[in-house]
Amino acid sequence: MIEYMLLAFGEVVMVFGALGILRFPDVYTRLHAATKCDTGGAMTILLALALYTDPSVFIKLKLLLLAFLIALINPMVSHAIAKGAYKYGIKPKVVVDMYAWDNP
Amino acid sequence: MSRIPFYLKERLEEVQRRVLYESYDAQKLPVWERIVLTWILLFSFWIVITANTSLDNLIIGAIATLIIASFMRDMLMEDVRHRGHLIEKIVYFLLLYAPQYLIIMAFRLIESNIKVAKNVILMDINPGIIKIKTDLHSDTGVTILANSITLTPGTLTLDVSKRLGETYLYVHWIDVETLNREKAGEKIKGDIEEWLKKIFW
Repeated sequence: MIEYMLLAFGEVVMVFGALGILRFPDVYTRLHAATKCDTGGAMTILLALALYTDPSVFIKLKLLLLAFLIALINPMVSHAIAKGAYKYGIKPKVVVDMYAWDNP
Repeated sequence: MSRIPFYLKERLEEVQRRVLYESYDAQKLPVWERIVLTWILLFSFWIVITANTSLDNLIIGAIATLIIASFMRDMLMEDVRHRGHLIEKIVYFLLLYAPQYLIIMAFRLIESNIKVAKNVILMDINPGIIKIKTDLHSDTGVTILANSITLTPGTLTLDVSKRLGETYLYVHWIDVETLNREKAGEKIKGDIEEWLKKIFW
């Protein structure tokens, strides 16, 4: 039962992440939606698969390893994209920008 | 000592405290401990990836990962705190620290997903870029802290800068609540930094 709930939660989160990429105003807020919703959705779906399938214990361990690698790589890539966008010169729509104060 | 300005005096006392209490912890581990820890990690990865527990496969994997671990010993284990025995470290990590971190991050990830869904529907965003200070100084610790901050609700790490022996993080916050550095740091980092300071210096 719990695997169906996890699967449904992951799908709903992925849908909201895609909606966020369309609706938010600039690069950085869109990256919020992409990073968090992709990581959470993919990890919940992989956890549901690891609970649901029963071939052997190694397949489950491989799925958990995949979830761990996603959690490790996804924030790093979003950090690289955000810093690259800032260095390229895209101004964020913000109320306060302390990064521009320190790097004029 | 009494003639230096107030902010410099505070800073000097902090540096002295750090030298007093953390210079022992900031040493590198002994060579064999580094090799053994890296070897355990690589060998468990080998077993999971090959999915084969026959004896000759295990022997090949043990020899290959031992050779790689003896070359690559500084890559992962350089910044671990010099504290306690090796077995103590492994048991504490497996039984106490890893489940603690997994539970904290799982609940924060679910909370951040729900918060992004709420922001998408209502569009009540008020973004800003805030600078916060951390007490961690090693590269691995700052990396894990920045990744954890990216996965916590409403925040995204932009850049890290080290100035005058102190580490600062620039964080894009989707709903700015305060500009005070200490309050913002407490709200953003939470208890992850306390957890990381037990393992990395």
